[in-house]
Amino acid sequence: MRPHEIAAGIAEQTLALAQGDEVEVLATVERSALTRFANNRIHQNVAERSASVSVRVVVGSRQGCASTDRVDAASLARCCERAREAALHAPDDPSFPELPGPADAPTVLERPLPDLDAFDADARAQAAAAIIAQSAERDLTAAGTVSASATGIAVANSRGVHSAATTGAARATVLSMHPSGASGWASWLGADPSGLPAASLGDRAALLSERSVGAEPLEPGEYPVVLAPDAVADLLDFLGYTSFGARAYFERSSFIALHEGEQLFPASLTIVDDARTPETVGLPFDFEGVAKQRVALIDRGVPAGIVTDSYWAAKLDRANTGHALPAPNPWGPMPLNLAIEPGDATIDEMIGSIERGVYVTRFHYVNVEDPAEVLLTGMTRDGTFLIEDGRLTRPLTNARFTQSVVEALTGLQAIGRDRELIGTEEGGACLAPALALASWRFTGQTG
Amino acid sequence: MRDIALAALDAATLAGASYADARVVLERSETVSVRTGRVDAIASSESHGLGVRVIADGAWGFSATADLSPDGIRQAAREAVALARAAARTWSAPVRVADAPVVTDQWRGRCEIDPFAVSLGDKLALLLTADEAMRAEPLVTVTAGSIDAFGVDKVFASTEGSVIEQSYTEVGAGIVAYAITDGEVHPRSYPNSHGGQTVQAGWEAVLALDLAGNAPRIAEQAAALTRAMPCPSTTTTVILDGSQVALQVHESIGHPTELDRVLGDEAAFAGTSWVRAADLNALTYGSEHLNVVADATTPGSIGSFGYDDEGVPAQRFDIVRRGVLTGFLSSRESAAAIGRSSTGCARASEWNRIPLVRMTTVSLEPGIWDFDDLVADTDEGIYMETNSSWSIDDKRLNFQFACEIGWEIKGGKLGRMIKNPNYTGITPAFWGSLDAVCSPKHWQVWGVPNCGKGEPMQVAHVAHGAAPARFRNVQVGVAR
Repeated sequence: MRPHEIAAGIAEQTLALAQGDEVEVLATVERSALTRFANNRIHQNVAERSASVSVRVVVGSRQGCASTDRVDAASLARCCERAREAALHAPDDPSFPELPGPADAPTVLERPLPDLDAFDADARAQAAAAIIAQSAERDLTAAGTVSASATGIAVANSRGVHSAATTGAARATVLSMHPSGASGWASWLGADPSGLPAASLGDRAALLSERSVGAEPLEPGEYPVVLAPDAVADLLDFLGYTSFGARAYFERSSFIALHEGEQLFPASLTIVDDARTPETVGLPFDFEGVAKQRVALIDRGVPAGIVTDSYWAAKLDRANTGHALPAPNPWGPMPLNLAIEPGDATIDEMIGSIERGVYVTRFHYVNVEDPAEVLLTGMTRDGTFLIEDGRLTRPLTNARFTQSVVEALTGLQAIGRDRELIGTEEGGACLAPALALASWRFTGQTG
Repeated sequence: MRDIALAALDAATLAGASYADARVVLERSETVSVRTGRVDAIASSESHGLGVRVIADGAWGFSATADLSPDGIRQAAREAVALARAAARTWSAPVRVADAPVVTDQWRGRCEIDPFAVSLGDKLALLLTADEAMRAEPLVTVTAGSIDAFGVDKVFASTEGSVIEQSYTEVGAGIVAYAITDGEVHPRSYPNSHGGQTVQAGWEAVLALDLAGNAPRIAEQAAALTRAMPCPSTTTTVILDGSQVALQVHESIGHPTELDRVLGDEAAFAGTSWVRAADLNALTYGSEHLNVVADATTPGSIGSFGYDDEGVPAQRFDIVRRGVLTGFLSSRESAAAIGRSSTGCARASEWNRIPLVRMTTVSLEPGIWDFDDLVADTDEGIYMETNSSWSIDDKRLNFQFACEIGWEIKGGKLGRMIKNPNYTGITPAFWGSLDAVCSPKHWQVWGVPNCGKGEPMQVAHVAHGAAPARFRNVQVGVAR
């Protein structure tokens, strides 16, 4: 059986065991493997087979949840009873609408799935070896991962939702380090591991590493920047986490609530969440089983939308966009498939338009200092360069930034025409182009 | 559970492993959380599975499964061996691990009142009372609180002959009031941010926090922050409260002294370290006031245990003594790489994860100062409390932290309240500027249950003892 069929079977079995006015079951069946390398050799090779079930029981307007990764009948029955007991202890919640109905739910959906049997430990080791060779042959040191997963997810509820899908992805990352401390980075994410360009990925990182030798510190200050797709993906991730969800909108900690309808950014900027485009990987429905909608969050420069789930859609009297996280969900709905609509510039053209600025390959350890203006701090990493007279000149040591993303995007100069699919910390994937921004505030340097 | 572990060892040996260890772990958790008068979550979870780690053909392999049937156990063990053999493709030398004692033992963490036996109703009532008390402050528009209970039973067995059973309980609780006005968000938390305080104990520890009693104070402070002065952009003296010192220790001393990072095994993800293996007993890490100890035997700490996940006994050892680097956090493999014994810091976050070098209870030892005397001894500066944001570079040198609240210090007294205080620095220079640490009266262990490391990601429970401390010439008010 395919993973979603196994998950759907577990979900239906559990649904039959649970008692409550309404019941929702989320079942997940996962197979994953990760080959990790460092110091030019594989040092960690792991694999996992797992299944888990989450049950939400509603009694009146009271909810309780329980989960288990033991899927025998007795454990599932105990899980259902724990969820019901939790619901009986909860106070009434007049805001609770009801669980979604079948009109909101898609039927069984399937994405292209990585062939994990073909991409086995030997195949992953060969890919890792091909990546490592690009560094080792140049006296560089490589570290990174080659991984793949296939996940079947099923959501079933007592109102008639029966959504199931199989999804998965393969991923590779590589950091290439020069003895001087210089480094370069490359990453790849896709649905089909046979498309992994292992040698060229390793080559990209190694070239960037060699080009980064001899780096000098950047004097703190405000500079025009070109952010490569990996760096842009970090910004998108934090925009999604802080600003694009209904809870932050309702509580007015999101800039969307403060600037809705204003021409806040240049008209060239459109940010959407779209889980169903073939260009991405991920689930076509949310963890309540509701079909994910394409939502324009920034529409031609105007803060225009937020993502919702059943609770927040009812609370705000908006449509349910299908962005629920697994219950219980204290974070509210979240976009997991953000994308910036492509522009028409190449990276060379963006660099060529800057007299003196900075090129950033990726960021490291970004965190939020103020959610309302998406004020972030973090470091650059693995390929930072000075731009002078329209071309990359000197490599730069890693620099700290402290910058409001909202403020930075008001100075958007150009958007890349090519986008890369990049995995994010929230467990999603985003489609990120390179961006050229008029000003970015670098506030410190290492050493 | 013991039989499952031993069956896994047999299967791994039959499949060709030259070494194997197996962990069978049963975890339970229960969460109750509220937000702005509404129950956000009442939930429980249960997880039970097996992780098998082997050495075959001189390389590591690891496989995990929740299928604990005889077939499931055999399949996991065989897969671990197959993974090791595939990994051996890129090996230039076989795995070496430091010796460890062969142990048969049981260990149990202390817990007076089983938190899983306390009714959900009692937990909710406690949180809703505190939540209502915070919402009495009109400028506080969002409130939140949570109580978590976590229980672990696990068996470790190895082909060297160790069989170790351990069990412990943890509880965590906290509340936060948000004043949100005019595009500014001001959180104020008790007893700490990011979920509160987590300890290895029972329900008695939650009751001792007195969440409701502290709710009005933090709500008032959140409201006052809306009127507070911005943090000046300057270089000045900073006094940090114990919880922020704990996080500073975590990021800029704990992580850089993890030996696997030092050796490059975490390079691509979490990064390496500014510290080198050869720096042991030679590197000046900070001032003479800097004394840091790792102690996995600290009672009541979520960084404590009887044995690590390689069966190595819990230990107490120096990491920095009078400002000089004197020790590393290590596993059997990383310790062997530098010719030393393991310091017992190999831990896996769950049954389906491989042990990595993790912090235990890594603490800044207390000094001699009373807090009031320390403030009185400071002519000018800023006192900051409770972390709100953290970031540090991939070598663990350049950091920037923000706190929820600050007060200016003028003429030896706390003055006006400061909103959005933050500070930045470089690790050895910052610790070199440490000139005072408060006394044992002000020292406590702070739990950090969200320490991320490794691929696949592992979220570990670690802890840090700390007291308020003073640092000179610190850059504050970055980009505000």
